[in-house]
Order: sequence, then C-alpha cells, then structure tokens
Amino acid sequence: MTAPLPADSPTGSIYDLGYRGYTGPRLGRGFAIRSLFTHSLRTTYGLGRTTRAKLAPWFLLVFAVLPSISIIAALVLVARFGGQVSEIVGANSPIRYDTMFSVLTGAAIISLFCAAQAPELFGRDQRHGILSLYFARALRRTDYTLARILGFVAALLVLYLLPQFVLFLGRVLLATDVVAAFQHDLPSLPPVIAEGVLVALLYGGLSMTVSAYTPRRAYAVAGIIALFTIPGVITGVVTSLGSSTVGDVLTLISPGFILERTNAALFGVQGNFDTLFVGLPDVVYFAAVLVGIVGSFAICIRRFRTISV
Amino acid sequence: MPLISARALTKRYPGGVTALDGLTVDIDRGIVGLVGSNGAGKSTLIKILLGLIDPTSGSATVFDLDVRTKGTDIRQFVGYMPEHDCLPPDASATDVVSHLALMSGLPRTAARERTAEVLRHVGLYEERYRAIGGYSTGMKQRVKLAQALVHDPRLLLLDEPTNGLDPAGRDEMLELILRTGREFGIAVIVASHLLGEIERVCNFLVAIEGGKLLRAAPLGDFTEQTGTLAVEVEDGSDALAAGLAAAGLSTIVDGRAVLIALDGDRAYDLVRDTIADLGLPLIRIEQRRHRLEDLFRDAPEDGAAALPPPAPPSPGATAGPPA
Repeated sequence: MTAPLPADSPTGSIYDLGYRGYTGPRLGRGFAIRSLFTHSLRTTYGLGRTTRAKLAPWFLLVFAVLPSISIIAALVLVARFGGQVSEIVGANSPIRYDTMFSVLTGAAIISLFCAAQAPELFGRDQRHGILSLYFARALRRTDYTLARILGFVAALLVLYLLPQFVLFLGRVLLATDVVAAFQHDLPSLPPVIAEGVLVALLYGGLSMTVSAYTPRRAYAVAGIIALFTIPGVITGVVTSLGSSTVGDVLTLISPGFILERTNAALFGVQGNFDTLFVGLPDVVYFAAVLVGIVGSFAICIRRFRTISV
Repeated sequence: MPLISARALTKRYPGGVTALDGLTVDIDRGIVGLVGSNGAGKSTLIKILLGLIDPTSGSATVFDLDVRTKGTDIRQFVGYMPEHDCLPPDASATDVVSHLALMSGLPRTAARERTAEVLRHVGLYEERYRAIGGYSTGMKQRVKLAQALVHDPRLLLLDEPTNGLDPAGRDEMLELILRTGREFGIAVIVASHLLGEIERVCNFLVAIEGGKLLRAAPLGDFTEQTGTLAVEVEDGSDALAAGLAAAGLSTIVDGRAVLIALDGDRAYDLVRDTIADLGLPLIRIEQRRHRLEDLFRDAPEDGAAALPPPAPPSPGATAGPPA
C-alpha cells in the first residue's frame, strides 16, 4: 500500500487531516445511469467480481465461439492440404452468419447464459436489499431498471456478435484475396447486427423480467429455462404437425422460433427447420419480437416502480 | 428556511395501515433525533424525504426542494443509511462504496479517493478489501455509514444506526455520528427507538407517535419537562393516584408505582400528605432517571413491532402537565 521510504527520510508521522468535504463536480443522473449500465455489463461477465462469478459466463462465451473457431480450423487445414476452401466458406458450410442463431440456440447457449446471469443483476440487488441504496441516489427507479436491463442486453449482444466476428475474421483473413472476401462478406453485416440486437433485446428483456419477480436465484434460473424451453417444445410439436391456423399462431409463443423466423427473413433465406410449413408472414414475427421486447421492459419498469424498499 | 419542512404529511399503506397521520414539522440543521417506538412512522418519514415512497397527501421539502418532483436533485446531497441489511456479501467494502459513489454522480477518480477516505473515517482499514460476507455486524454498520457519507452529503438520514450492535459497538457508532455531525458540519437525522442513545448525540429531538408529532424541541426542553417522581406503595396505588389526581397532579399507575409529573415542590408535599391521609404502606419515592422514556410509556412493546398502535394515546397525557 505504501511505497518504502528512502533511508534518510525522517521517520514517518501520521497527520489526521480530518474530514475533507468534496468540492469537485457532481455528474448527476446521466452519469449514474451510464455507470450502472457499464456495471451491469461487467457484472454479467463477472468482471470486478470473484473467480467463481466469472466461471459460468466465460465458459458459455468460449462455447459460443467454439463453432466459429472449429470452422476456421477446418479452413486452415483444408487450405494447407490443398482442398476446396469454397466448400467450407460456401453455402454448404454448417456454420455461417445466417445459421449462427440456430447453432447457438441449438446448443442452448443463449438461454443458459440468460438463466445463469440474469439473476445476478435484479435478483442479487433484491436479495441483499441493495435496491434501497440505489433508489436513494441520483437515479430514478426507471433509470435503474433500464440501465440494468440494457447492460444485460449488451452482454448478450457480445455473446451473439463475438462468434460472428471471429467467423468474419477467419473467413476474410484466411482468404486468398482478402479484399474480395471482405467485400463479399460485408453485406452480411447489417442482418448480423440486426438479428443480434433483436436476440439480445428479446432474450434479455424476457429473462430479466423473470429475475425481477424471482429474487431467489434457484427459482429464477428454473423460470428462465422453462420460459425458453417449454414454449419451444410446444412450437416444435405444432410445426411438425403441419400448418393450421391455430398451430401457426401457437408458434408465436416461442422466443426461439420467432427469432428463427426473423433471422431467416433478415438474411433472405428459409430457416433450416420447420418454418417452411408455417403460414404466417414474416412481419408477424417482427411484430411479435417487438411486443415481447416492449412488454418485458414495461413489466420490469412497473415492477421496480411499485416495489417497496 | 428550515432544512426539512413537512406539512400535513400523511402516508397510508394499502391495507389501511396509516404510517404518518398529518405530520407537520420543521427541522433545522444540527444532529436531530427522530424518536418514537417501532412503527411510529420514523422510517416512513425518512423514505418520504428521500423520495423512496410518495406521501398519500400533504407535502414535504428538503433543501427547499419538493420531495415529490425534485427527488434526484435532493438525493445527490443526501446520504441514507437504511435500517435493514443492504450489502452484497460477495463484494468488498471498497467495491460497494465506490460503486455507490458513482451512483451518486461522483467521477471515477473522485469516487475511488472518497471511498478510501470515508472507509478510513469509519474505521475500516485492511479489511476493506475483503468480502463483506465475512464482516461482523459492527463492520457492516460502518460500511453502511460509509456509503451514506461517500458523496459528501449535506444531510445524513440514519435509520436505527445502532441496530444489532453490542454496547461497545453502539458507543463507537454514536461517537462516529457525533463527529460526523459536529466536525464535518453535516446535518444529521438519527431515527431510533432507543432514547438513551439519542440523548447522547442529539441537540434537537423530534418525537413522533402513531404517525403524529408529539413534540419537536431542543433536547433540554424534553428533559426538563419530563421530570417524573415514582412513588411505590405496598398496595393501594390506585387510591393514591386518585387522591393525587384530585389534588391536581398528572399521574399514571404503573403496577405498584404511581408516576407523577413533577410540577415544582408542591408535588412532594402533596405526595406526603396524601399517603399519610390514606395510611398507605410506602416503599420508596424516587426520581426517575429514564426521563425521555416517559414520553412513550403507553406505547406498545417492542414485540408489537411492525404495526403502528391502533389508537395512539393522546399526546402529552403521560408527559406531565402542560408547560
């Protein structure tokens, strides 16, 4: 804590300077909101916390990037042994920008990340009574709610975009003509980001809503997993039965299915599952995402406006 | 302009519990004790002043700012130490306090410096880097005080700051409060149901009961007025009380004892004469030391905690004759 004193310096003496007031700037509400947003993003990845808190998020982040890394590894190997690189970067490759969502949800990475980390924010603050300290500061209740949710949404965005970015780096940098590869992949950027934002907002909003109402961590984890799997199972059964009006509408209860459709629409491809059989137009699914996002945010805001501290 | 001003402040919780009932009071700078039994409305008043909850009716201002509309402006300059646990066990004191400094709008470097300073001030040194989960109650209370001080507030609101502390811990916490109020020139409001403690640090008292103001006055006024004589008799205390009341003294029967509000020397003669006339077996006459407690003699026991008393006793009735 203290630097060693030079040998000839006088023996130290402690001066009690007494209490000093603070006369510097007070940056107010906006700064507090930005700081809480950053804090939420960092807390979600366990930064500034114990090693134990880092385990789950980093484990899942590494898992999320693995498919991209494996495809790049394949790329390197095939190029070295003189194979056909276009086979791996082309439309037959299982891991592309437009299949990334299916790959990540197929491995349940996003929902597991939500279940493990969303309760770290709203749940932790409620469990330990920290809310009253936040609400007693420069923030308003809604500021707190939004900064927390958006910090978590940003963390999900990282989880979704990092594998895409690694894939992009590999495809471009390992190509024989880097410029051409860059120009070829550039048009994929808008749909990648658009789908990423939708995924992060919807998954983030829904899982934060569950954790806002279930301070107990174990219940929140179970609730979030249930929210992301049970509707998916129902939708899976419905779509496998073929199209019917009731069945089509039932697909709107599954966040995973909805985002599968927006993904297909954004990239201009048909999803690789049973979305072919569903008769509803794409716009319905975009509307469903919007309803989910706005609804979950509104429920959270209401929750923290009325919660007693 | 008073530091805090409340006008007909009323708070009714859903379910019909009235926590504050038309409270009107002005509070000036200093170390102010907010006293009342559990459920008297102390915490509710503090939370309304912070803008944590909205009053049902009435109005209140802090620094001349309306608590309903200027909450964020007020809270930048107010420190709040809640009654309950409010610290995450897995974080260190340094992390929690510096994070909360940011939440009060302090820039990052200032937040770090102030955190080190206030933690030293409350007496946390090397342990401030350890997780709070391993702290004693006394250390946790210090961290709670530190987070309330970190942004150099002009007003500190402390809700039961000695809760859960042993006698030595209480002394230290009271000493800290006293220093904070006197040396730093920060206005302090200490809510407590322990009058003995409040007496030691405050120079002004606001007594509330059943959500109503009992009295707001400098500490000296309270102790003068509540001079009480306890007369203990073997039996017949009711008769004694009746006799003294007939002679014009305010009395309360407390088991075998009769409590009499001291009203000059006349009381002593009346007590002697009345006891002699009734021929009662006298055990002792003593002046009660627990002066302020008499204000709340009829208040419910601590066990009745959360709920405010259904019908508060008429204020002043127990405290002595009108001054």
